Amino acid sequence: MESKILKPILAVYVGLFLLFLYGPFFVLGTLSFQQGPEGGPQFPIIEWSTYWYRHLFGMVPPSRIAPLPVGEALIRSLTLAFMTMVTATVLGVMAAQAFRKRFRGAGVVFYLIVLGMMVPGVLTGLGTSLLANNVLGIERHWWTTAFVAHVVYTFPFAFLVMLAILNRFDGSVEEASWSLGVSPIRTFRKVTFPLIFPGVLSAMLFAFTLSFDEFPRTLFASGRDQTLPLAIYGTFSVEIHPNIFAFGVMTTLFSFALLAVYGILMGLSVRRAKKQAMQEDIA
Amino acid sequence: MNQMNSIFRLEGVSRQYGDVAALDGINFEASNNEYISLLGPSGSGKTSLLRVIAGFEKPDSGRVWFEGRDITDVPAHERGIGFVFQNFALFPHLTVFENVAFGLRNGIKEVPQDEITSRVFEAIEMVGLAGLEDRGTEQISGGQKQRVALARTLVMQPRLVLLDEPLGALDANLRDRMQTELRAIREKLDVTFLHVTGSETEALAMGDTVAVLDAGKVIQSGNSSEIYDAPASPDVALFLNRFNLFDGVATGTTFRGPFGQVATPVVRKASRDVYAIRYDRVQVFNMGDAIPGPALDARYVASEYLGSSIMYFFEAADGKTVEAEHHLSFGDPQDYKVGQHYVLSWDPAQAIVFGQEGAE
Repeated sequence: MESKILKPILAVYVGLFLLFLYGPFFVLGTLSFQQGPEGGPQFPIIEWSTYWYRHLFGMVPPSRIAPLPVGEALIRSLTLAFMTMVTATVLGVMAAQAFRKRFRGAGVVFYLIVLGMMVPGVLTGLGTSLLANNVLGIERHWWTTAFVAHVVYTFPFAFLVMLAILNRFDGSVEEASWSLGVSPIRTFRKVTFPLIFPGVLSAMLFAFTLSFDEFPRTLFASGRDQTLPLAIYGTFSVEIHPNIFAFGVMTTLFSFALLAVYGILMGLSVRRAKKQAMQEDIA
Repeated sequence: MNQMNSIFRLEGVSRQYGDVAALDGINFEASNNEYISLLGPSGSGKTSLLRVIAGFEKPDSGRVWFEGRDITDVPAHERGIGFVFQNFALFPHLTVFENVAFGLRNGIKEVPQDEITSRVFEAIEMVGLAGLEDRGTEQISGGQKQRVALARTLVMQPRLVLLDEPLGALDANLRDRMQTELRAIREKLDVTFLHVTGSETEALAMGDTVAVLDAGKVIQSGNSSEIYDAPASPDVALFLNRFNLFDGVATGTTFRGPFGQVATPVVRKASRDVYAIRYDRVQVFNMGDAIPGPALDARYVASEYLGSSIMYFFEAADGKTVEAEHHLSFGDPQDYKVGQHYVLSWDPAQAIVFGQEGAE
């Protein structure tokens, strides 16, 4: 029997995959409960404690280990990710909407957009900075050059998500709306958008998470004030303490919270999608 | 048809998709307050025609007139023409009530809330859906969905409603009921229905006027009995699915076909020579019976019981299927033996003959 051999091999493979996926996080999570401030970022755990979490929030007496300089960077990264998410999603929806009609050069434009995902990130960041500084005379900041780099990076993802959604979208509901005397703009707001909303949510999630931990493009493009990934990297160059791990656990929890919000919103609109699917079945 | 009475008019409307002409210079005029059915096989351009009238697509050339106004360049939402889709195209995120209220709420013209409510209830009542206002669109049946689609359109009080195979997605039983209801609803309102269908029975049953569309052209229009009794061309006769069509040679006064040479009092001008005889005009004789008129030797294949009539299928010598319909009110069905040869005949005066040399 083929499956007698194949199944265990695949099971082991999946097990290894999951181990490598979650192993690092598990190690980090464990080490974040190391004793402080003497305990270092390695095993064995001298004594379990929440010292490094308290250290993160400045709730421990001053020691030779400085607090992580991430507060401002965190706010910056959240703001940047939010700006990127909104801009990339709006652009992605608009672009995908444009692709519903075949236009001259549609194929070329499509590949140009999608190729944007393949260009090496560091080069894009560097190029954006040079273009802004030397050609356009714009100063490098996280909210100028880095923002542009992030939008350019995340837009193709939002575009592809929306393209997939709109490909399955039955345009006759829009035509029905027009024939009832409703203008195309209002039709988009009242019919199209509610129906493609699950897709919009996914595009937003993509854009936000990609921007939030974006490193190579931001490295050159963010200027003086660093984003969170850069700030964290900056602390590595001195000395690594378990407070980084504690912070990592916190941001991961934040990501999970984000996913939960996404899941809830998705669940709410799934009923709508079901209705739509049933209507498509009949058609 | 005088000018006052006309609701819409097409002038040389053409629409091309790549190399294919979906609409090929269509001229058509429809009078007010009428049920028009547009019959065409698939690919005849009937849906394209509706989409051009609705404004979803622009014609490559030609003009569209509606209520005395050239609307060729007017966008769909400013035309005031209703459209009912085959797949219903209900708004899945809205209730039945909100579906019907949609146009009133979101249209260009502001409508007061209490008027919206009363008009929506009235429309829902009219299509027989009272009590289902708060249902979601997935909680109602196919027939009910089509009623919602109809109510949603009619509540806007359009003068013209385009129906794109509106019964195509319904089962046969429901289709018959909806046919009657569609006609009844239309008669209550001052509105023209333009109903596109690929079904000849539906077209003949529904339309005050029937227009036959083929290869992007209107090839005949008239009332049902005109079309049924006097198809203008072999193609129309073919689409009606009620005629046996024989190829042959028409001279001025005779037609030579597989059934021999028959005298033909009238020959209609057409692009080819075709002899058409309605299924229910064909009579079946035993071999050896004395037959005055045309005589076609054919092998009996099968029969199909249709309720009020029975359809016999024969195969002629050239392999062509010939159908004979026997109305049961004219007597009990005959038992023919499968594989046995019979002679088919008919009264030549009841045939419709097309010829290249015929009269216009």
